[in-house]
Amino acid sequence: MDLSPFESDNSVSCRLVSEIPDVCRTEDCCLGIDEAGRGPVLGPMVYGICFCPVSKKQELKDSKVADSKTLSEVERENLFQKIDESKSYIGWALQILSPNTISTSMLQRTKYNLNALSHDTAIDLVQYALDSGVQLKEVFVDTVGPADKYEVKLSKRFPGIDVTVRPKADSLFPIVSAASICAKVARDRVVKGWNFSEDMGDVETDYGSGYPSDPKTKAWLLKYLEPVFGYPQFVRFSWSTAQTLMDSKGVTVHWDDDEEDGEKGAQRQNNKSMLAYFSASAGGKDQKSTHQTHRFFSDRRLKSLDTL
Amino acid sequence: MATKKKRIPNMQNDSWVVIAADSAIETQKQDSDPAFVRLRNPVTDAASLYMLRSGDVQLFEVKAFEEDFHSWFVGQTVQRDGRLLFVTPMDPLYLMLPYLVKAGKEGKFQPVDQVVMDEDFPACSRLLSCTRSLSSLHHIAEEKEVGGLKFHRYSQEKTMNWLKKKVERMDTVLKARNISVGEGVKSTTYIRVKSESDYHPEDYLRYAHGMISEYLSEDLSKALLKHLQLPELTSPKEPEPPSKKRKLSELPVEAEEDYTKFNSADFARKPPKKMTSAQKSLAKVDKTGMKSMSSFFSPKVKAEKK
Amino acid sequence: MSCNSSVTWVNVSSVGQAQRVQLHLLPCEIEHNGPAQVSQYLTATIKDCKLEKTVSFRGRGLKGQELICPQGYTGLVLKETNKPGSDQEDRTVKVASVFDKLIYWNLETPPNSDDTVVMAMDWPDLAEAIHGPVED
Repeated sequence: MDLSPFESDNSVSCRLVSEIPDVCRTEDCCLGIDEAGRGPVLGPMVYGICFCPVSKKQELKDSKVADSKTLSEVERENLFQKIDESKSYIGWALQILSPNTISTSMLQRTKYNLNALSHDTAIDLVQYALDSGVQLKEVFVDTVGPADKYEVKLSKRFPGIDVTVRPKADSLFPIVSAASICAKVARDRVVKGWNFSEDMGDVETDYGSGYPSDPKTKAWLLKYLEPVFGYPQFVRFSWSTAQTLMDSKGVTVHWDDDEEDGEKGAQRQNNKSMLAYFSASAGGKDQKSTHQTHRFFSDRRLKSLDTL
Repeated sequence: MATKKKRIPNMQNDSWVVIAADSAIETQKQDSDPAFVRLRNPVTDAASLYMLRSGDVQLFEVKAFEEDFHSWFVGQTVQRDGRLLFVTPMDPLYLMLPYLVKAGKEGKFQPVDQVVMDEDFPACSRLLSCTRSLSSLHHIAEEKEVGGLKFHRYSQEKTMNWLKKKVERMDTVLKARNISVGEGVKSTTYIRVKSESDYHPEDYLRYAHGMISEYLSEDLSKALLKHLQLPELTSPKEPEPPSKKRKLSELPVEAEEDYTKFNSADFARKPPKKMTSAQKSLAKVDKTGMKSMSSFFSPKVKAEKK
Repeated sequence: MSCNSSVTWVNVSSVGQAQRVQLHLLPCEIEHNGPAQVSQYLTATIKDCKLEKTVSFRGRGLKGQELICPQGYTGLVLKETNKPGSDQEDRTVKVASVFDKLIYWNLETPPNSDDTVVMAMDWPDLAEAIHGPVED
């Protein structure tokens, strides 16, 4: 697994792929989808697919791939080694969603939530397999959300393919376990070797699990809070843990699309529009002046001042 | 998402980002430090900030580019105040005009230093020391010399001719620079018509007149319009505040009940303690594009609703 | 309101010693005046694409471009080091730094010629048309 395409720019999303086994282009195949690193406040989320001919299901089962969460890191690395050695009939592809992609998507003006992001990524990966000539007949998907809706969505999107969406699919279907292993191995390696593009000097790498509940993670987040910038791009700013820490220990930042409750929002809307409506120059202190600033100036947000 | 914090006013502002004409900050000349001064704004009749530099006295105008939700990074620091100040050379005659017009009502020739003075704005008399002032006074006043002393009397005719030249020059520059003189930003679509051919020549002239009027009293502005043979617009288009770009995420909200009441001034001041979710989302919608502000004031709104 | 007779002197002789600085105009209000690790966190992570620059701030995607000061104009950062006790007294500001270009950032929107700050840069040229001397 060569991570260098992602590591050359870890601020954006990146796809890593294995070679497509020839047999997958000629025989009916099954494909598993799983994700790694959905919950942590640090590092990327990785989406993985694994595929192999339906006829090789037993072989895969015999290789004892199991849910990657029940495995140790070393065991996972070993199993990935096995998958890699079976490249004559197993192929894989990964989509690494950088923490910066996750932050900027979730915090976008038009919010792009993690579920939508996950679904779109999964769909893109399946489409990639199809585009590469993989003869897909069965797709198995692990999900944390409601399985039924997702299954309908995917079935509609990929007619002629038998789609099964299940919670804990990674422990039920070996091909999903294999996908899970690929995703988890990639996520672990990326986190371990994270290359901070910020100029932060030596950064402590004892992040813990990356889950907000982990004291080590919490300690790291406290240590590396910068009052103005908050965090390096390694951190998911859209996580409430990060938000709360920045709110309490960082500098307050206001955006034009900040959410406000109805009352304040209505009030501000009112005030703002009123100001714009009258938009008198010179501070507008002169009551008798009904002067309307010419639109050359108001279009350019230019106004006179009465004090420095 | 964490709750958003209220904005605390910026009390400790001690730095400003400025773009200044090189002539304002030349360092060659001795004893010519420029200074920000307050003078009477001819349009508002209230104080506005200008800059005067001594020695070779020159007047500059100070305007701020100011938009909500902006801050600066200046080197390795944050400057919360996101304004960008422009210091541009200014014609001192615009500031002297109101004083001359006022004195002109008496109809007699007077020494200008007795005319251009203002108790409220002591720096005002320094306008006369501007290198350009005395040599250009003839654009707005008749001159008489008696015993080596000069006397002046405001001339509307001269002033109009002078202003007309300004408008004509402005007109040329607007066309040359392809400045959009149409209705400007259309509220939500945000399309700007830029093709010159779409405009009537009068649009440019009117626009130029509007810009020059930023420096003229209402009376002078009207007189100039007449002088330019532009008809006064009897019912000027209802001024709309420049509306924000609409947020896509807040597109149409299905109204489950009569929402016009949310447009009343009452609602803006005192929203009901508890709102339904539909009401909440309505309250969040940027209404500037839906109803003009004037409807807040118009008594008709309530009547129409019945 | 402060007194109309007090003035604010600009100590222009400080221009000579003033350092050239990098300026960024951000599409958000930061409730802070003072130091920040701008080069470490912002400058180091800016990506230069063909038509725009991109960076993130507080997890939000920004797109920006460079703007050059109009010809005949200089960018100054003025600083007031000693505030007088009353508004009757004259104030003095010095030129803390100078610049000839700045980078402005939009929230998610690609920079374009209709951006208000780009249009505001028209002002010096048009001011010249309004205020330049008129021939007889």
